[in-house]
Amino acid sequence: MDFSFTEEQDMLRMSAKDFLAKECPKARVREMAKDERGYDPQVWHCMAELGWMGLVLPEEYGGTGASFMDLVILMEEMGRNILPGPFFSTVALCALPLLEHGSSEQKTKFLPQIAKGEAMWTFGLAESSGKHKASEVKLRAVLKGTNYVLQGHKLFVTDAHVADYILVAGRTGEGERPEDGITLFIVDARGPNVKMEAIPTIGGDRQFKVSFDRAVVSKDSILGKIGNGWHIADFILQRAAVLKCAEMSGACQAVLDMTSSYAKERIQFDRPIGSFQAIQHKLADMLIDVEAVQYLLYQAAWGVSVGLPSLWQISAAKAKANEAYQRICIEAIAAHGAIGYTMDHDIGLYYRRVKAAQFAAGDTDLHREVIAAELGL
Amino acid sequence: MDFRLGEKELALKEGIRKFAEAELPPDLVRNTVIDGEFRDFEFEISMSRKLAQRGWLVMSWPEKYGGRSASLLEQTIYEMEIAYWGIPGAWMGISGIQWVGPCLMMFGTEEQREKYLPLIASGQKDGVWCTGYSEPNAGSDFANIRTRALRDGDDYIINGQKVWTSVAHRARWCWLAVRTNPNAAKKHHGISIFIVDMKSPGVTVNPILNYYGRHHFNEVFFDNVRVPASNLVGEENKGWYYLMQSLAFERRSIAPTTYGNLKRILEELARYAGQTEYEGQLLSKNPVVRAKLADLAIDLEVLKMFAFQLAWRISQGQIPVYESSRNKIMGDDLMRQGAIIGADILGIYSQVDPDSKWAKLNGAIQGAYLGFPGQAIAAGTAEIEKSIIAQFRLGLPKSY
Ligand SMILES: Cc1cc2nc3c(=O)[nH]c(=O)nc-3n(C[C@H](O)[C@H](O)[C@H](O)COP(=O)(O)OP(=O)(O)OC[C@H]3O[C@@H](n4cnc5c(N)ncnc54)[C@H](O)[C@@H]3O)c2cc1C
Repeated sequence: MDFSFTEEQDMLRMSAKDFLAKECPKARVREMAKDERGYDPQVWHCMAELGWMGLVLPEEYGGTGASFMDLVILMEEMGRNILPGPFFSTVALCALPLLEHGSSEQKTKFLPQIAKGEAMWTFGLAESSGKHKASEVKLRAVLKGTNYVLQGHKLFVTDAHVADYILVAGRTGEGERPEDGITLFIVDARGPNVKMEAIPTIGGDRQFKVSFDRAVVSKDSILGKIGNGWHIADFILQRAAVLKCAEMSGACQAVLDMTSSYAKERIQFDRPIGSFQAIQHKLADMLIDVEAVQYLLYQAAWGVSVGLPSLWQISAAKAKANEAYQRICIEAIAAHGAIGYTMDHDIGLYYRRVKAAQFAAGDTDLHREVIAAELGL
Repeated sequence: MDFRLGEKELALKEGIRKFAEAELPPDLVRNTVIDGEFRDFEFEISMSRKLAQRGWLVMSWPEKYGGRSASLLEQTIYEMEIAYWGIPGAWMGISGIQWVGPCLMMFGTEEQREKYLPLIASGQKDGVWCTGYSEPNAGSDFANIRTRALRDGDDYIINGQKVWTSVAHRARWCWLAVRTNPNAAKKHHGISIFIVDMKSPGVTVNPILNYYGRHHFNEVFFDNVRVPASNLVGEENKGWYYLMQSLAFERRSIAPTTYGNLKRILEELARYAGQTEYEGQLLSKNPVVRAKLADLAIDLEVLKMFAFQLAWRISQGQIPVYESSRNKIMGDDLMRQGAIIGADILGIYSQVDPDSKWAKLNGAIQGAYLGFPGQAIAAGTAEIEKSIIAQFRLGLPKSY
């Protein structure tokens, strides 16, 4: 057993920290929440030059062939800084399944664009219930000649406004199980009959309703096999759950650091508030939550890295992060007093993003259900 | 990072499973966390001997003291599995195996090691120890102890009282903290540790029953008890330093045992829920039951990782500063969570005497329910452990 990172991993973390401290200060985060695009193209460009988009892609597609664990480290740092933009949508939700399940033509065409930062992607799965379940996939895809015609809509699609392509889960048939007959399509986001409507969120991130009204997709735009798309959707949810968990882990650490520094500085009753046990014990609880998220994350990420992904470990990590991130933020605001309730303070930036993170890549109910099933219940 | 278990560890797990299946009734589930009532002392000690013969009882000790130099990771797995299977006799009252032995190896004389360690390692009655720290005025504020040891020629003479002393009624030896210098500038500086033969004249052990009537701990009086100076551990007045080490050993073992114990309870509860119907529906299909058991499983996963991480850090030669406290809090919280969830699932049967034929799951849930508040106090309360984390991990000012 080994709980340490390699030297290269430590270096990756340090360079990510340095870059993000410089390029993604909280002022930029606030600015981007109001910006129409929601991200800074120059920063995006630099990230591509640093090789971040292609981190886990093989060299033949313009990547550096790093491990999944390396991506987790990078995304922990992104989460710590609340880096705005379509990195998660593009890399976690789309580049990974393209690499794993794409045809060689698809990989050769799409992956280098992603690695160079030239194409952005997102994934549309949930519909009106917002649940990431096969039974909720109702969008229809009907074969007409050599094309499929899509009819229906997707909700809570992140960064759809800047996406070049959307991976869309549609129903091409019916089977015994709700999983049967689902197909994943690569859809041109700017194509005709694809419409977007913003769903404003409390987190200031970008989510959309994307409607497909007789949108036409060619047959070779199918990812994987017809009718067999759910296992790719499942693959996406699992990998994305770990990577969302990484962002949340970084955010949790940032909130703890911020709060313990504040507790040393803020004086009341002639002493730092951090000398009061009520505050100390809150912070100790926060630390335990932070480390719980970290170690479950590392365990799950290691499993994926070495090709032994475990549903149990992945779901435990995401369910824990969902609960802990929320609790840490709430306790942190309490420990700050009124200043923590203000627009100018950074804590609110994290708290407002809790909900988006919790519902990304499987909500708590979904992950608990995975565990319950694994327990044999 | 690498979280794979090696062949050695997997073989060990398998070995313990086979041992449990051979030696225990098939569906035994027990709450082994607070061992030491020794309700069947002869049986427990016979099991200790068997564990010793397998080379497991003190596996991480060096060969020359009866161990086999196993890694701390193996030891952690062993503790998890022993607790999972509820194998009696594995702790021998805990003190000797978990902290007296390791402390003597660090701070004791060679003569002390040769005399005491093999007794523990071979699983004998004379290898059972108790620990005398707490006194009526020294609980969390443990440095406040008043029991005195005064030098008298080649001996020390001890006077005073200890309380909450677990298994003193079974122990052959006491790992005793006393005051040797009442005039030290700080109260932490005048403390020493002695090995006391519980058969010495002047030692009186009175039982204190816990709230469910079990005889777990005692009060122990020392009335002019004569102890040879060779029984002083390490240097005089340096006891506080040894005690901190000793407490670190003690707190380390809580996460693996709680993990193993609760993992078993979780599995038994899942099985029970899959066999018990209410209003035409299996409990296992009830969403509330599913959510509660899933939450318990998730937090158990955390406890497991905490246990491994601490073992790993120690095995890297690092001295953990706050991890033991973190694990103690997490373990205690989970024991409470598990007991309450278990009781919720058993419903009205959760009140049945654990020894009665009416008890479900061999009374394991009632055992946990009755035991968890005590476990949470022993070896440091949550308040004390959280203050340690705040001060030593987060760098906050001292609060007391
Ligand atoms: C099952 C069991 C077995 C035990 N076995 C042994 C044994 O074998 N040998 C032995 O020596 N002792 C043993 N103990 C005693 C144990 O170590 C003490 O009970 C423990 O240290 C707490 O001390 P106390 O009971 O005096 O409580 P107190 O210290 O009086 O604490 C009472 C309450 O005050 C809180 N408190 C105290 N100080 C502070 C502070 N500074 N800040 C905030 N809150 C504070 C505590 O958290 C607690 O909630 C055992 C106890 C139990 C329950």
